[in-house]
Amino acid sequence: MFSKLNKFFSSVKLAIFLLIALASLSVVGTLINQGEPMSQYAKIFGHGLLFEVFYWLGFLNIFGSWYFITLSSLLVVNLVVSSANTFPRAFKTVFGPFPYFSVILERKNPKAAYSTLNTKKNNEDAQSSIETAFGKPLRETGTPGGPKELYFAKNSIFRMAPYIAHASVIVILAGVILNFVYGFRSYANLKEGQLTNFSYLLQNNKPVKLPFSLRLDKYRTVYYPDGIVKSYVSRISILNKNHISVLTKDIKVNQPLTYKGITMYQASYGHYRPDAIKFMTFNLVNDKAQGLISMEPYKLYNYNGSYLRLIPLPHASGNQIPFLIAVYKDPGNKPSDASKELFFNLGSYARGGKEIPFIYTKYKNTGFVYSGIKHYYYSGIEITRNSYTAVIWTGSIMLVLALFFSFFFNQSRYWVRLSPGEKGKGSLIEIIGLPRKKFAMFYKNFNDKIERIKRELNSK
Amino acid sequence: MNTIAGSNAYFLDGAIFFTISLVFVVLPFIGYFIFLFTGDKRLSRASFFVLAAGLLLQTFAFVLRWTYSYHIGIHTPPFVDLYDSLVFFAYVIIAGFVLVRIFYDFDALGFIITLTAAAALGFASFSPLAPSTIEPTMPALQSSYLIYHIITLFIAYGAFGTAFGLGILYLIKNRKESVPGKKTGRFLSLLPEISVIEEAIYKIVVFGLVFLTAGIIIGAAWADNAWGGYWSWDPKETWSLITWITYILFVHARFARGWGGKRLAWIAIIGFAVVIFCYLGVDLVIPGLHSYATPGSKQIL
Ligand code: HEM
Repeated sequence: MFSKLNKFFSSVKLAIFLLIALASLSVVGTLINQGEPMSQYAKIFGHGLLFEVFYWLGFLNIFGSWYFITLSSLLVVNLVVSSANTFPRAFKTVFGPFPYFSVILERKNPKAAYSTLNTKKNNEDAQSSIETAFGKPLRETGTPGGPKELYFAKNSIFRMAPYIAHASVIVILAGVILNFVYGFRSYANLKEGQLTNFSYLLQNNKPVKLPFSLRLDKYRTVYYPDGIVKSYVSRISILNKNHISVLTKDIKVNQPLTYKGITMYQASYGHYRPDAIKFMTFNLVNDKAQGLISMEPYKLYNYNGSYLRLIPLPHASGNQIPFLIAVYKDPGNKPSDASKELFFNLGSYARGGKEIPFIYTKYKNTGFVYSGIKHYYYSGIEITRNSYTAVIWTGSIMLVLALFFSFFFNQSRYWVRLSPGEKGKGSLIEIIGLPRKKFAMFYKNFNDKIERIKRELNSK
Repeated sequence: MNTIAGSNAYFLDGAIFFTISLVFVVLPFIGYFIFLFTGDKRLSRASFFVLAAGLLLQTFAFVLRWTYSYHIGIHTPPFVDLYDSLVFFAYVIIAGFVLVRIFYDFDALGFIITLTAAAALGFASFSPLAPSTIEPTMPALQSSYLIYHIITLFIAYGAFGTAFGLGILYLIKNRKESVPGKKTGRFLSLLPEISVIEEAIYKIVVFGLVFLTAGIIIGAAWADNAWGGYWSWDPKETWSLITWITYILFVHARFARGWGGKRLAWIAIIGFAVVIFCYLGVDLVIPGLHSYATPGSKQIL
């Protein structure tokens, strides 16, 4: 029973099946948008059968579905069981004990290459010729003068690399799971000037308490000369428990800020409605500018003892400016009870030979000049704790290195048996070469080595 | 949207030289194609030298384009839009072939490589879908990860493209040879031994796989740095994972009993179809984080 399970879980065919299954499910996952709100799916698929079927099959959140996770787990089990089964043998090929010539000869491995040479040279000379082709033997057995066995290995340490590759897959997955369990991804949309010590989880909007307070000092969008966005910049300050600012920094896309293991990313931006309209005010008696005021629509503002309210005119006609300022004697009045309505006019003044237009109105001694719209920006900041990404990157570096070492270092082993030649004269050399991978290059190299030994034997 | 680059940008930004280099790819294609039937080594050697000259010209064009984009104040290497990526793809597979050719006698592979490269280069040069003007880059792409991410992935794609060509040659040769009594034609006799092709497919695929793995990881590290999630199952990411799984499968198929060179050749062919879909198809079919269009929405990422 156990051995059957063991065999099943270590088979490469199972791995092939699982890999194909996971790849196919991933394809489905890219054809249907994943993790959208239900209302969005209702728009795409309607409320009919199609939606029901997709929902029931888990196709709307395929990467979190029970079968995707089960198949991935099976792959991990497959990987671990298979590696555990083959590791002891691989370990022996690297660190010994190494098998003997006769054992290898009997195995009749289909990958093996064989060669037999007869020479008049004695065993010592033969051995030195062999070593010019194969280097120093890892093991030498036998008696001086008598039959002898030599064992050579090339690159055998890299036999460990696939196991390290497999282990690194486990390390990466461990990092992913640790992050999933102990980390979070959340966001906070902050108005300029706003302070918070809460953020909201991306997946379900539940609030998270942060170990510090965060303030958005300023948000701005920077443009290239032709109007394409160059960067989105939020200046944020970190405040400690006593509301003392400990750090102020600009964050941009690709330039986050990490503080106490929590990282803040520039994720989005926008402006709140209603926007306000900015007016420059002038003292008409002495023509001096008084200042800049911003008015949100319908909000009441106290200005030099009068109450002002900005009223948008949605149905402005012709040249009419689409807003006015209503003036009230006291703040309790209804919007319709304005004592005076200030309509705006288009004027112009000359400067540097040019007519510059402006929009203005006046009330008593004060002139109001329209000077643009004020947006109340907010910045969408993503706040994340990914304390275990270091585990993932460690596993990743291990993986790339292990792949490199498994692929680019061909491993081969050689057994040589030296015995006295016919009638006790000269030597008989028998050579077996065994590659890790059955590549044409190996057999070519093997023949080259044999040729080289022959030349050595003849030249001495 | 051509206000930054003037009207003579086509010369300054190197695009004209990529267009000219197309000639240096099409001529070798013709040469290699005729070579398949005549087996005239002088032809394949001439094709090789013309192709190598084209590679030099393209290298020059890249240097020009790169310096030019910094010169006009766009501090991003020229690898970001569809045009750049197509010419870079052509560049990588030509470079890959030139390298492989130095070590193996694979002249028969030349026509597939030059055909693929010419298709990519021709599409880049003449399709209105791939304008060559250097546009300012959106904030998400302004990162030093960009260049490592793209170069590693394109080296991988180039390798997989080469393996694809070899896979086809393998199947052709395997098919003809397995018919007993049939005389092998000139075309087949030019190909290396079937076992040599198999070995080359393996080596080129695993070379690509190392770079693919590194490229995906760099992408994940970049995403982590840009927006705090190393993996978001965005379609392009998912397709890169599917590509990776395909080639991991390739590597392991050898260990399964009964999976010979023929199936490996098939995986190399299918794998490249997956690569092409990941590279171009995803953008055309499913827009996502990586699409080559400029985003119009407020959401930055
Ligand atoms: C999922 C990610 C995996 C990665 C990155 C991976 C990586 C590797 C690498 C690089 C090799 C060396 C291949 C070669 O030298 O040509 C290898 C060999 C191998 N892998 Fe995997 N593998 C994975 C999954 C699996 C699974 C699920 C199994 C389950 C059966 C498996 C079983 C094997 C076996 C039996 C070998 C041969 C080992 C040897 O050289 O003795 N691998 N793997």
